[in-house]
Amino acid sequence: MSLIDWNKLTITEPPVLPRELLRNFKKGIDGAFRDFSRSYGEALENFFNPLLMFLKWFQDLLVSTPWPIILLIIGGLSWIGSRSWKMSLGAVLAFVAIGWMDMWEDTMATLAIVSVATLLCIAIGIPIGIWMSRSDRAQRIITPVLDVMQTIPSFVYLIPVVMLLGIGKVPGLLAVMIYASPPIIRLTNLGIRLVDAEVLEAADAFGSNYRQKLFQVQIPLALPNIFAGVNQTIMMSLSMVVIAAMIGVPGLGVPVLRAVSNQYLALGLMNGLAIVAIAIIFDRVSQAYGKRLQKHREGDHGV
Amino acid sequence: MIKKSLTKLAIAATLATAGTAAFADCGDVQIAEMNWASAELMANVDKIILENGYGCNVELVPGATMTSFASMNEKGQPDVAPELWINAVRDPLNAAMDEGRLHSTNAGPITQLGEGWWVTPAFQAAHPELDTVVKILERPDLFPDAEDSSKGAFIGCPAGWGCQLANANLFRAFDMEAKGWTLVDPGSAAGLDGSIAKAGDRGENWFGYYWSPTAMVGKYGLIPIDFGVPFAGTDNWDGCIVKPEQDCADPQASAWTVSEVHTIITDSLKNKGGIAVDYLEARTYPGPIMNAMLVYMGEEQAGGEDAAIEFLMQHEDLWSSWVSADAAAKIKAGL
Repeated sequence: MSLIDWNKLTITEPPVLPRELLRNFKKGIDGAFRDFSRSYGEALENFFNPLLMFLKWFQDLLVSTPWPIILLIIGGLSWIGSRSWKMSLGAVLAFVAIGWMDMWEDTMATLAIVSVATLLCIAIGIPIGIWMSRSDRAQRIITPVLDVMQTIPSFVYLIPVVMLLGIGKVPGLLAVMIYASPPIIRLTNLGIRLVDAEVLEAADAFGSNYRQKLFQVQIPLALPNIFAGVNQTIMMSLSMVVIAAMIGVPGLGVPVLRAVSNQYLALGLMNGLAIVAIAIIFDRVSQAYGKRLQKHREGDHGV
Repeated sequence: MIKKSLTKLAIAATLATAGTAAFADCGDVQIAEMNWASAELMANVDKIILENGYGCNVELVPGATMTSFASMNEKGQPDVAPELWINAVRDPLNAAMDEGRLHSTNAGPITQLGEGWWVTPAFQAAHPELDTVVKILERPDLFPDAEDSSKGAFIGCPAGWGCQLANANLFRAFDMEAKGWTLVDPGSAAGLDGSIAKAGDRGENWFGYYWSPTAMVGKYGLIPIDFGVPFAGTDNWDGCIVKPEQDCADPQASAWTVSEVHTIITDSLKNKGGIAVDYLEARTYPGPIMNAMLVYMGEEQAGGEDAAIEFLMQHEDLWSSWVSADAAAKIKAGL
């Protein structure tokens, strides 16, 4: 069978696979995926079950924690991050407003999934970033993968993820992580590669071994960049909240979807702004923290 | 010799005129081709059958429920709406039917159609005795929720859809929380379909909301479950079940409201259509066949016309009962 449908080929129509072949190709992929899901789906679900239980536990914990304690924690974390009472007060006020507008429970659910997603991205992303910075070949292989992860429309991988793992928190978390982990990997890699060759020479001259060089010279000097990556990862996981709601992840995305399908202007706007408020708090606090790290470095080297 | 052939010719001419006269009765017919798969299929089947079997001159007019109905109601064109969902246009349609401007030829062109609660065939095969919603509700353990396996998962309707309210209120009406169920929000149509695809592909139990005719029902053989209670009246349904929770303090357990779909034609077609109208009255698609056709359309990415030809090829025994033997022969020849 010819690989090109010669009947359709004209000067304006490019060569195209014959319809029959193209259909079989698509059916073959669908069939292979279905077989894979049948054979390994349940095992995968069991593998992710502890994660699901943890997510559920964490969300229940956030929802059932008395609100004054949550406000204290928010204020406290903002203070630790930014050392600015204005920032802490703003964060607390934003959460008071969120509660006042009756979005507390959804906000807690969103916080739960975003913080777990961010922590997992950091835990997985930083080692991969370090590996990329050590090996040019790893960088050559991983960079295009990261490009795909960041640009492929999320709807494309939502369906296979749902068919493997069902609807709910774990597939939602995976979808968020696919989109949100590239920045931390990229910026870890970049940060380490940007460390001055002279500094490394000096470390060599002092007789540091490989491990000492990595953990005591390169990573500390790369921290501002790594922190920019953490910041981006948080922002991107927040931007996935609505997409995750489409596969049954509770949180602020659910009312946004409801608003979209019913043209509820106020509901959509309020929940959208709640996501923005969380994003701004996270962003400002983590940036302030990153800046302090930078300051510390400036002090050291007198740059 | 000449005389004989002249007589023959005369007879032939008479026959021919008689034939065209019968054809001319039908004339130009406009059929609304609504913008969803089952309606596309029906419009195209009607076109082929009316053209080949009854000699009508059919034009398909793209449309949607509201726009096509408004045009039929105001302008008398198009002549046929093969699959008109009544709930959206009930009041103006009743008025038009009272005035005799529009007529319903078929109050159920597709059987087993509508919304409701469904299970996967694997569940029904394993538990044929659990054949009503009331009975299934006693067994939440058969549908363990992924997040809390002590509860049964009932997959409801995506957030923001009208059916979400009805499902949430029925969830309360059947006292499902106390019976150990949790109402799962699938988030979107993709989430709902994905959860069915997962359960269907793996032969797992699935219990939730869906509707027919749809390719999903056909592809995974979903089975509608009788509610085990009667429809508890329109006051309960329209005044409570479809309202937000705060406006529905005391929902009563009820079967799902019946979705009415009619084939609607204009008065002018009813008067001039003759036996073509008989066809529009007789043609009723069994739900499973319609769902199978929708699966075919999805998998082969077939448009309405391709699907109509496929339907006419595959289901001759069905459609030949809708038309006269004479018309059936002509349609068959036309394929």
